[in-house]
Amino acid sequence: MAELQVLLAGTDDHDLTKLDEYLAVGGYAGVGKARAMTPEELIDELQRATLRGRGGAGFPMGRKASLIDRSSPKPKYLVVNADESEPGAFKDREVMARVPHRLIEGCLISAHAIEAHEVFIFIRGEYLSEYEILQAAVDEARAAGLFGDVDILVHRGAGAYICGEETALLDALEGRRGQPRPRPPFPPVQGLYDAPTQINNVSTIATVPAIMEMGAEAFAKTGTESSPGSAIFSISGNIARPGNYELELGTPMRELIYDLAGGVPDGRELKAVIPGGSSVPALAPDEIDVPLDYDSLQKIGTFFGAASLIVVDDRCCIVQLALRSAKFYQHESCGKCTPCREGTRWMVQILERIEAGDAELSHIELLESIGSRILGRSLCALGDFAVYPTHSYITKWRNEFVAHIEQGGCPYGGASSLEGIVAPLDQHTHSPMAEVPA
Amino acid sequence: MSAFADEVRAIAERYPDPRSATLPALRLAQERHGWLPPEALREVANALDLTPAYCKAVASFYDMYHLAPVGKHLVEVCTNLSCALVGAQRVVEAFESELGVAPGETTTDGEVTFRTVECLGGCGYATVVAVDHRYRQDVTPADVAGIVEELRG
Amino acid sequence: MSAGLVTLTIDEREVSVPKGTGLVEAALAAGIEIPVFCYEPRLGPPVGACRMCLCEVQPGPPKPQAACTLQAADGMVVRTARTSAMAAEAQNGTLEFLLVNHPLDCPVCDKGGECPLQDLTFRYGPGNTRMTFPKRTFEKPIPISPLIALDRERCILCYRCTRFSEDVAEDGQLVAVNRGAQSVIATFEDEPYVGHFSGNVTEICPVGALTSTQYRFEARPWEIQSVPTVCGLCPVGCNTSATTREGKVKRIQSRNHPEIDEGWLCDKGRFAYDHLTARDRITAPLGGNRLAPIGWDEAIDRAEELLRRGGASTVTALSGGESVEEAYGLARLMRDGVGANTAVLPEQVPDGLDAYRAPLSALRDCKTIAVLCDEPVVERAPVVELWLKAARRNGATITYGAPEGPVDALVTDLPNLQLGARTVYYLPRTPNGRGVTDAWSAAGEGEPVDEEPRVLVISGDEAAQDPSVRVLAERADAVIGIGMFRDSFHGLAHLVLPGTSYLERDGTTINLEGRLQRQRRAVLAPVPDVLAWLSKLAARFDVELSPHASVVFEEVSAKCFGGVTFAEVGERADLPPRAARSETQEPGSQREPGSRDSGLRLVAYRPLFSGAAVERTPELHFQRPGDEIQIAPADAQARGVVNGATVTVSSNGTSLELRARITRELAPGIVRIARDHAGDLHATVQVTP
Ligand SMILES: Cc1cc2nc3c(=O)[nH]c(=O)nc-3n(C[C@H](O)[C@H](O)[C@H](O)COP(=O)(O)O)c2cc1C
Ligand code: SF4
Ligand code: FES
Repeated sequence: MAELQVLLAGTDDHDLTKLDEYLAVGGYAGVGKARAMTPEELIDELQRATLRGRGGAGFPMGRKASLIDRSSPKPKYLVVNADESEPGAFKDREVMARVPHRLIEGCLISAHAIEAHEVFIFIRGEYLSEYEILQAAVDEARAAGLFGDVDILVHRGAGAYICGEETALLDALEGRRGQPRPRPPFPPVQGLYDAPTQINNVSTIATVPAIMEMGAEAFAKTGTESSPGSAIFSISGNIARPGNYELELGTPMRELIYDLAGGVPDGRELKAVIPGGSSVPALAPDEIDVPLDYDSLQKIGTFFGAASLIVVDDRCCIVQLALRSAKFYQHESCGKCTPCREGTRWMVQILERIEAGDAELSHIELLESIGSRILGRSLCALGDFAVYPTHSYITKWRNEFVAHIEQGGCPYGGASSLEGIVAPLDQHTHSPMAEVPA
Repeated sequence: MSAFADEVRAIAERYPDPRSATLPALRLAQERHGWLPPEALREVANALDLTPAYCKAVASFYDMYHLAPVGKHLVEVCTNLSCALVGAQRVVEAFESELGVAPGETTTDGEVTFRTVECLGGCGYATVVAVDHRYRQDVTPADVAGIVEELRG
Repeated sequence: MSAGLVTLTIDEREVSVPKGTGLVEAALAAGIEIPVFCYEPRLGPPVGACRMCLCEVQPGPPKPQAACTLQAADGMVVRTARTSAMAAEAQNGTLEFLLVNHPLDCPVCDKGGECPLQDLTFRYGPGNTRMTFPKRTFEKPIPISPLIALDRERCILCYRCTRFSEDVAEDGQLVAVNRGAQSVIATFEDEPYVGHFSGNVTEICPVGALTSTQYRFEARPWEIQSVPTVCGLCPVGCNTSATTREGKVKRIQSRNHPEIDEGWLCDKGRFAYDHLTARDRITAPLGGNRLAPIGWDEAIDRAEELLRRGGASTVTALSGGESVEEAYGLARLMRDGVGANTAVLPEQVPDGLDAYRAPLSALRDCKTIAVLCDEPVVERAPVVELWLKAARRNGATITYGAPEGPVDALVTDLPNLQLGARTVYYLPRTPNGRGVTDAWSAAGEGEPVDEEPRVLVISGDEAAQDPSVRVLAERADAVIGIGMFRDSFHGLAHLVLPGTSYLERDGTTINLEGRLQRQRRAVLAPVPDVLAWLSKLAARFDVELSPHASVVFEEVSAKCFGGVTFAEVGERADLPPRAARSETQEPGSQREPGSRDSGLRLVAYRPLFSGAAVERTPELHFQRPGDEIQIAPADAQARGVVNGATVTVSSNGTSLELRARITRELAPGIVRIARDHAGDLHATVQVTP
């Protein structure tokens, strides 16, 4: 197993941002095929392909489509999640910048399946160039008459990680503060403007044309049995050749890290890999012999997540890593539910104290306990995302936490690769929030 | 004022519910004013039949809206894990000394606001710096003087 | 199992509830508490924010579920903290998180002793704190209006207040700003929370974060009494509870009557009680040219003398704020005793309306609603506006029409209008106009005379302020006033007998639905009961009138209310059944459509925040309407008027600059300006950008 070009197919020798070149490689043929089917047939085809969502949870895309309440008198909507804000992830960006028409084609096919006439692509506000490319492609395809009775609107976010969470995304799209909604009701029943809504990740939708091209059966045979197809893996951090690699699912992680991406540079040792973006439990060096697919990663206690590997070498203080990561989740917590809003802040406070060498051993247990009181109890998974990696750092590198406490400071003595890093949280000096000692 | 309202209403018409135009309208208002002073929030509220308080609530939720004045240019350095692991802090420090301000501050001549931001989605090309929203990738401390010079023209 | 019911098990108790019942209510039906903070069905769908209600629920994922967001289903097994260690741990955890940044200043907090956070912490929370780090602190308390203080440190961000503002009052004034742990509740740029219903947020706040400035540090829960009564400031008649301490009213809270007010009060009803202790409160009869205090015996003598002088030509002007009993007592005196049958009544409510009667809550389920009222509904009967908003959120179509003639004429016509309307509400102008009218007619038979009034009796401060009553007063030889405030009668009356407030009397009123409700005395007035001196005065005219409201009520009730007793009216009054529809009456006078030039018809409305009680509550003055003109979208568009922009309003040579507010809650052809801001404008105005 290795490279399988599905999403990025044709990009080596074509500029697929251009409609004519995309048409030249057989683009938009899938739309015709799809429209020749009834929505039932199409959903059935998608279900047989068992394309699993590339946004994180890995829920089968066809099954989601089958849950759409098509009998509802309300309009149905397709929403594409292009918020990509998971630290370590930059794969959807590549899809939009290089194969925007494949995403659009996927939208048109999926819209037909759920009988939607309106598609919203929610792209994070920071992706300006990608927005321009995508918008140009949408305009070009619309002008070429490819849309039929469907329209696509590209909606820009404004800087909030939580808007990648699907229900928060819906609120942001409705013009509100992007905060998650309780579920049930689930979006296929009551989503955007309270109407049945299908939400999928960019890479998920951009894979749909391949299913039309190959047929569900052939597609299901690629990758692994439970995780067919390919994914673009983002790899970054302390790695020789960082970047995006489209690989067949099931490719060994070691192969990606060492053979394709060139391993850890500068003669350093591998210390940790966070395999799904910063929100999943990290792996120790002896855990990386694992196939890159949903089930295999879950079996060893982590997640496929955003298919984004962050490689960490031995110069990094694990407490600093935990702290920097925790500051991110505190910064991004939407503030709606109690455990995440209060818990992430408390976690940061404890980690700061440990890093400063000003803590007691009991603070490690406190940190774990607070984490376990967030886990599974917050309104959306952001709370979990703050805890998963932290718990893994404490479990797998506990000695470093203990060392900070026993030595009264960071054992790296200022030489850690993350020393002094300024998080956005640290610069909110104008906020109305002040602190006084307890 | 009225032209702005017309533009906002035109955006609103593309959505099933005009409220959906809140984010685009705030962006538009920010482009006109440079940031979102209270008048700007009032304009958006009037154009969309919302209240200024509602607009403030929305604007203050998102990092890309500025509720305080910012410089003519915006320099944003990603300091999330992937960038941090390969030296984003050195880039931050280079900007600090080149601009003479700390992260979160604006240069005294009002030219440049400098801040650190969370992951920009360019992790494979660390360090990522967004200069007026355009990404500069693989930025090292050595590039910083050039970027600042470019901005100062 | 009967159809529409589902059966589930909660803490090992089986319970059957209607399909669609939320788990919190289902548990309640089984006698089990699921603790909540953010959950409040009156605020709309559950938001699942606070995580206080976490329970173990099967079927479902193996983690605690927010019970408030789930509905009961057949075969569901729910375990609360009573029987599930998982739920108990989860709820304990939520409370620990809620308390990490809470100041724990209960001893100095107004909410202390009646605080859900305190109570639930006691029942479900951790015994001690593991928080040894700096807590979030904020400047405190900050005023979010002259009426409400916000202590952000105590706030648990349950979003009840902001949901009230956005989803119930729909005023969009109180919001959450910033994100995450930095989120705070705020108004726009420190501007006050202006809105007819702002005070409700102090009542729904489950902690001491939003408190009433009037009540701040005024009392502790163990030293207060609560008197269940009914608001007497508008025709809605919201059910209230008056908190008193040492004989003084300290606050007014809602007493949720689900058919009338659903637990919401307007700010006038909630905050205007300061009028009880107004500077110009009349505490003794006043007489002589300079209205100096006189003795009671002298006052009764003079009243008798004046009334005898006036005789049949005496005119009685009523406010509509009297209780049924006061109005009846006065009417007995005037009609039976003095023989004066002429009255200026506050309202004419045709009986035919009772055939269309329904509780206000029925509005919520209406599909089509026509509002025929040129004044803003919210200014006249505020809580009705909340029901209209609820109906609109429910999908109702609401149209706004503008009757050209007097509204009363329209009402007379109702039985003839083939509207197909199943329910009709009439919004009287006064709190008990209908009860007062009924009482007046029940008290005597004689016909009014058409003579110049020699003596005028003005009952109530509102009547004393009424321009048409003042015109009558100028024509009369002598004026007797009954009222609470010296300033109302200054230069107007020759004799003033002290009146009391609705908070100081026992009695009944009839609200706009036609519901008879009971007001209870919350505090003793600084003066005798009106009925007490009325009965003495009546005796001078050989009229037997009891000084006790309950006895007077029995007399009225026998004549008008089918003989119900005070006790039967109860604390939460029922609406009488619909009357039979009357035979079609003679059609009322056809109203001529008014001639129109290109101008707009100006309605200078009387704002809710006006009148004797509001004038004497300085904290409420900021709520008076601003200098804005309300205009319908079509009229605005035709004139190029933009929402929020300044426009020129002119008629007959006068012109004013006002801020335009485009509103759909207004019929085209009409513009509205609050009376205070309408200046000398005439009835037809031009509006230009
Ligand atoms: C805090 C949070 C952030 C998320 N961010 C993203 C994101 O940036 N992009 C994305 O596609 N999914 C994201 N998700 C997952 C989405 O909620 C949702 O599961 C996904 O968009 C569904 O698409 P898929 O089924 O195609 O994977 C996030 C979830 C959470 C809880
Ligand atoms: S878990 Fe965090 S991000 Fe998610 S709803 Fe709760 S506060 Fe918001
Ligand atoms: S009461 Fe259920 S989450 Fe608040």
